[in-house]
Amino acid sequence: MATATVHAGGIADHVHPEPQGFVRKYIFSIDHKIIGIQYLITGFVFLVLAGLLAEVIRVQLMHANGGFVSADTYNEVYSIHGSAMVWLVIIPLATGAFGNFVFPLQIGARDVAFPWLNMVSFWLFPPAGLLLFGSFLLGAPAAGWTEYPPMSLQGAPGTSMWCAAIFLVGISSTMTGLNFLVTLIKMRAPGMTFTRMPLFCWAQFATAPMSMIATTALAAALAALFMERQFGVPFFDPTKGGSPVLWQHMFWFYSHPAVYIMILPIFGIISEVFPTFSRKPIFGYKMIAFSSVSIALLSFMVWAHHMFTSGLAPFLQLPFMILTMLIAIPTGIKIFSWVATLWEGKIHYTTAMLFAIGFIATFTFGGITGVFLSAVPFDLHAHGTYFIVAHLHYVLVGGSLMGILSGVYYWYPKMTGRLMNDKLGHWTFWLFFIGFNGTFLPMHMLGLLGMPRRVATYDPQFQTWNQIESIFSFVMTFALLLFFANMLWSLRNGKKAGSNPWGARTLEWQLPSPPHYYNFKHIPTVFSTPYDFAEPLPYAGLEEELTDSPGPAPAVAH
Amino acid sequence: MAVITVPDGHAHDDGPDQLYVETRELRLQGFLLFLVSDVVLFCSFIFAYLYLRNSGQGWPPAGISRLDVAFAAFNSMVLFGSGCTMHYALENWKHSNFSKYVGCMVATIVLGLMFLGGQGYEYTTLMLKDHVTWGGSGIFGASFFTLTGMHGFHVAVGVIYLSILLLQSVHGTYTKDKYFGLTAGTLYWHFVDVIWVVLFSIFYLI
Repeated sequence: MATATVHAGGIADHVHPEPQGFVRKYIFSIDHKIIGIQYLITGFVFLVLAGLLAEVIRVQLMHANGGFVSADTYNEVYSIHGSAMVWLVIIPLATGAFGNFVFPLQIGARDVAFPWLNMVSFWLFPPAGLLLFGSFLLGAPAAGWTEYPPMSLQGAPGTSMWCAAIFLVGISSTMTGLNFLVTLIKMRAPGMTFTRMPLFCWAQFATAPMSMIATTALAAALAALFMERQFGVPFFDPTKGGSPVLWQHMFWFYSHPAVYIMILPIFGIISEVFPTFSRKPIFGYKMIAFSSVSIALLSFMVWAHHMFTSGLAPFLQLPFMILTMLIAIPTGIKIFSWVATLWEGKIHYTTAMLFAIGFIATFTFGGITGVFLSAVPFDLHAHGTYFIVAHLHYVLVGGSLMGILSGVYYWYPKMTGRLMNDKLGHWTFWLFFIGFNGTFLPMHMLGLLGMPRRVATYDPQFQTWNQIESIFSFVMTFALLLFFANMLWSLRNGKKAGSNPWGARTLEWQLPSPPHYYNFKHIPTVFSTPYDFAEPLPYAGLEEELTDSPGPAPAVAH
Repeated sequence: MAVITVPDGHAHDDGPDQLYVETRELRLQGFLLFLVSDVVLFCSFIFAYLYLRNSGQGWPPAGISRLDVAFAAFNSMVLFGSGCTMHYALENWKHSNFSKYVGCMVATIVLGLMFLGGQGYEYTTLMLKDHVTWGGSGIFGASFFTLTGMHGFHVAVGVIYLSILLLQSVHGTYTKDKYFGLTAGTLYWHFVDVIWVVLFSIFYLI
């Protein structure tokens, strides 16, 4: 304690000593940067597993009569594919990986508010994945990722493992949300007011309360389903007075906000990539920031639009329809602001930028079909068809996953100190973009023609388009393999990045790559938003960050 | 290092330490947010209960008699009384009345245990005399035992928590200025009280 030196802003240079052992440094680390990378690696491992399941689905659908796997196995495969992609891939990557690594650096903090809680959050996540994929051993859940009763009540024993897995990853998500929220409110550097925060921080700020509140509601639903399956406590079984629709309410009260938990952080990534590679201030800073918050608020009032065909009272359908359509307004504001940022900018076509531009195209497409589906009459027609599958993959793969890939290309140099190969990156992007659209675009049409989702065999008239989709899905998978190869190859052979390869202006790029254990030698002071490319950097106190001067003296660990 | 003036105010003007060490303020905010997420957990089950109760089967369902309001009201008084003693425990700590503090804490723990005993008595009466059980009495048993059981579990955790706090404060873990654990314990105990107000109203009064 005695070594503390108080400087500008009255903040002391206190730092815990850096742990030296391998286990404390890389396995049970409390450093937000290491935890972020742990999330990234674990999330990508699950992406590979869930992606293989997706290819099982595509191979099965090559022929109208199926034949690759049995119908029962097929049900298990798409249920685990969906659950894993949502809970083990997109949410942990969007919040856990990028949130942890990036935003504490961007707000000028030395770590998150509760580093130990952060470590616990992470370590609940791999066991959840093992439980989920392990459920194949007992007979996996087979009622889709939504697990509607009564089917989930009659499902194989693995369905209870599914409940436990999602419960665990939910607790992890709740604790992360709590941690991020306190960090963002309490630990910003001097001068970093809310309206000076980088937009990625605003995105996490809007996401954190959703992960905290909505995920707890899901925990209740999962606990009830688990109790009903294991102890026969009736909540959802209609023969004992329960209600299957109750599950749908409880599930979607979480799962609609979850859609925005999966996309708002991605909006944040895009809002960083666009100004950096257009060399232009972001257009409509405040509008983008506030639209994130308004999307978060609206997301809690629209859950029943998933239930238009479940016997929802007609007087409830109209408000849910209108509220859902309202979400298009803040989302549209963002899209227009991003496009306006590109307008007359000096655009650098790096791989991160390509993925971000691709994101605009595919996400807007998925967003527009979302507005279709919010209209009750259209939803009644399209519900349960491949149109839904197309819509959700356009927002989750074309939106979230492409944003995540953009973010990896953008922050990889900061994480590792080396650049990913740009030429290979361009190939990855084009193969991914073409493969993605070839896979999912025809599904809109098939859905409108009446091809039902979640069925192992289908009407032979749809076979040609399904074969085309499958072939394109192999292209997309190949692109992802290229991406992973690039990540691994660049770790040793990538060009040295230096501290700021992109000429970006947010705080994390003013530090060495990778940053020191303690992030900042001296906590900087902030004077303005980071995006004014014509102005000098709006920070003071960063002079020593890139020099050899020693970092802050370690204080006694608390 | 030169002193820098920030044009329009700092993001914080708290004391030193605050960027790395978990200060009282960080912990307080974290703990309050934890309570918020716990409230959401109860709200979800309360929503489920009200949804099932209003699904047109009549309440209480046929063959089940109304709950015993008088006994539950007495038991509620025990719990609310423990809320008062908890409040005085913290006040006495702040004013350095150590012996009164210990007395109030012990009273709170004893009242908490009495509440749990009362709930146990109520459960056994329901199960043995009226044959109302968790899994075997339809949505009535499911919602009543799940929600009150969850609350009872929170009370039990609270009793253990307060006992640990009491031992810690006897050991000298807390001082007159640094006593965040006691604040958190008090907040938690009041939270458990407030949840019970809601549960008592929706199960016994309406």
